[in-house]
Amino acid sequence: MPDSSSTTPTTPVARTSRPMSEALLNEKWDRCLSSMLIRSGLGLSFGIVFSVLLFKRRAWPAYVGLGFGAGRAWEECDSSFKHAAAPSKDGLRVLRP
Amino acid sequence: MLRASVLRVRPVAPAVGLQWRVANRFFADNKKPDEIILPGSQSANTNADIPAPPPLTSSANPSPSVTSTIPLQNVPKTPPTPQEVRAAPVVQPATTPPTGTGTASVAPPPKAPKPKKRLFRRFLYQLLVFSMLGYAGGVYYSLVSDNFHDFFTEYIPFGEDAVGYFEEREYRKRFPGQNSTPRLHPQVTGENKVTIPSKHGLTSRVAQEGEAKGSDLGSKGRHVSALEDNKPAASPPTLEAPKAEPKKEEAPKAAPAPATSTSMIDNLEIPSAKEPIVQDVVKILNDIITVINADAAPGRYSNVLAKAKSDLGKVIADISTLKESEQKAAEDKIRAAHTEFDDAAKELIRRLDAQMQEQERHWKDEYENEREKLAQNYKQKLDSELEAAQKVYEQRLKNELLEQSIALQRSFTSSVRDRVESERDGRLSKLTELSDSVQELEKLTAEWNSVVDANLKTQHLIVAVEAVKSTLENADVPKPFIAELAALKEIAADDPVVAAAIASINPTAYQRGIPTPSQLIDRFRRVATEVRKAALLPEDAGVASHLASLAMSKLLFKKSGLAVGGDVEAVLARTEVLLEEGDLDGAAREMNGLQGWAKVLSRDWLGDVRRVLEVRQALDVCATEARLQSLLVD
Repeated sequence: MPDSSSTTPTTPVARTSRPMSEALLNEKWDRCLSSMLIRSGLGLSFGIVFSVLLFKRRAWPAYVGLGFGAGRAWEECDSSFKHAAAPSKDGLRVLRP
Repeated sequence: MLRASVLRVRPVAPAVGLQWRVANRFFADNKKPDEIILPGSQSANTNADIPAPPPLTSSANPSPSVTSTIPLQNVPKTPPTPQEVRAAPVVQPATTPPTGTGTASVAPPPKAPKPKKRLFRRFLYQLLVFSMLGYAGGVYYSLVSDNFHDFFTEYIPFGEDAVGYFEEREYRKRFPGQNSTPRLHPQVTGENKVTIPSKHGLTSRVAQEGEAKGSDLGSKGRHVSALEDNKPAASPPTLEAPKAEPKKEEAPKAAPAPATSTSMIDNLEIPSAKEPIVQDVVKILNDIITVINADAAPGRYSNVLAKAKSDLGKVIADISTLKESEQKAAEDKIRAAHTEFDDAAKELIRRLDAQMQEQERHWKDEYENEREKLAQNYKQKLDSELEAAQKVYEQRLKNELLEQSIALQRSFTSSVRDRVESERDGRLSKLTELSDSVQELEKLTAEWNSVVDANLKTQHLIVAVEAVKSTLENADVPKPFIAELAALKEIAADDPVVAAAIASINPTAYQRGIPTPSQLIDRFRRVATEVRKAALLPEDAGVASHLASLAMSKLLFKKSGLAVGGDVEAVLARTEVLLEEGDLDGAAREMNGLQGWAKVLSRDWLGDVRRVLEVRQALDVCATEARLQSLLVD
């Protein structure tokens, strides 16, 4: 991963909360990874709980949960990448032909 | 509940006795408040209340045993028809002393004790009441109706008093404040009654024949008729003669003296009696004489009458003498009064004359005084008038003199002014020439001053622009240059071009400063690595394509120099070259040509470059303007 801390130069411009434009992609990658970790961990833990409670300690519910979590995180990340490139249309009226 | 049950239970022992009844009363009874029954007071009536033994036959079908034993009041009456019951007024039962609630004990009706005595008393009472009512009504009606008033006051004892009292009251009410003496006749009040004895005045007697010839009612036989000619007509001539006899016209109704009777007493004749009193006396006497003459025996009274006549004559003579003496005394008195009056009049005239003379003298004096005073007044007035007129005249003269002097002075001043003016004009023309030349000189110096000022201004402008430029170039890190820019703007206060150039600069540029070219190049290198990572991304790239781009970009060959082509790598290479050459404008143009993620990533860097370019352009404009100003001065 490229370091995001090096992107903040000593310029006073960096004081703003808005990230530099060249750090946009890196930030998105960070968010994707963290969310993937969290969601897959949650799915896994739910799967383990279900396997213990319902499925006689089978292994597959844990994998299914992990898959659910990872898939959810992937989808979220995908959508964030897709919508970031195009200029945001928030607050604009869309005129349809 | 309890009360109701008690009420229901109580009539079990109804016929015990009256003493018990009193004791059996309960608080729940509806007792009458003011009737107190002492125990034993009703014991006398107990015999009547003992109920009779129940009849063997029911009341519905009375058997023949009714005939003898049952008293009359116990015989059941035939019930009235419903119509009668409805029509009859509801008779409230007389209040009986309270007994028990049992049906068997009914108190006896109250007896009327000793009816005879009370009847008489009632009669008396009614009589009194009716008589008073009648009396009052009579009084009232007598006040209303006059006819009844007469009847009432005449025949009812004390009626007149009562009516009179009320009339008096009404009269006083109608006319208050008048005399309070009773208006009624004294006979009503019973005072000053005049009693006339029974044998008084004329008495009746049988008319005699020959007396009163006018009527022959006393005689027997045929009476005098009013229609026919009466036989005894001998009386009229005799009647005429004594009528002519009376001596005066004032007493024409002298009694008719019968001429037939020889010893008639002569009527009194006193010619000298002119007084009415005397005449009256004579008349009375004559009347008496006529009466006596008419009577049967005039001779009896003749002496008395003759004496009376002589006395009367004497009295009349006395009266005449008295009159004469009185007349004389009056005349004397009148004469004395005349003389007294004459004296008084003379005295009055004399006094009046003296008074008039005195007044005349007084008036004359006053007149003299007044005339003198008036003359003096007029004289004073004339003097004052003369004086005033003289004063006015003198004043007018003085005024005229003053006016003349003023006119003279005016003419003198005007002539002096004219002289002065004519002399002044000669000198003033020279002075105006001098002032004109001075003004021209001032204009010239002012023009040169403006030139110098404009030069100074442009110089200042240039210095300020140079100061801004030097601060920008000498800065290692971006510094705000608000102070320099403000100085520039102040110097070029009225220069629209400079103002517009300064306004075109982004405010963030001079608030935060602009990056130096070396910083720009440094940042470009960082941006370039990032852009290179996203160089292979297609449109709408997902996570997978991003991962692929990230991985594949490592494998790309780096271009350098002025590479040909529109791909990202070539653009980056060209930009780097241009930056190294110092062509910021070209570099910005190259980077602006990127698409997609590459452009998004390089946006901030482009903004920086643009700001730097804007500042440079604005400063160039200012410098050019300053130069132009300096050229325009001459």
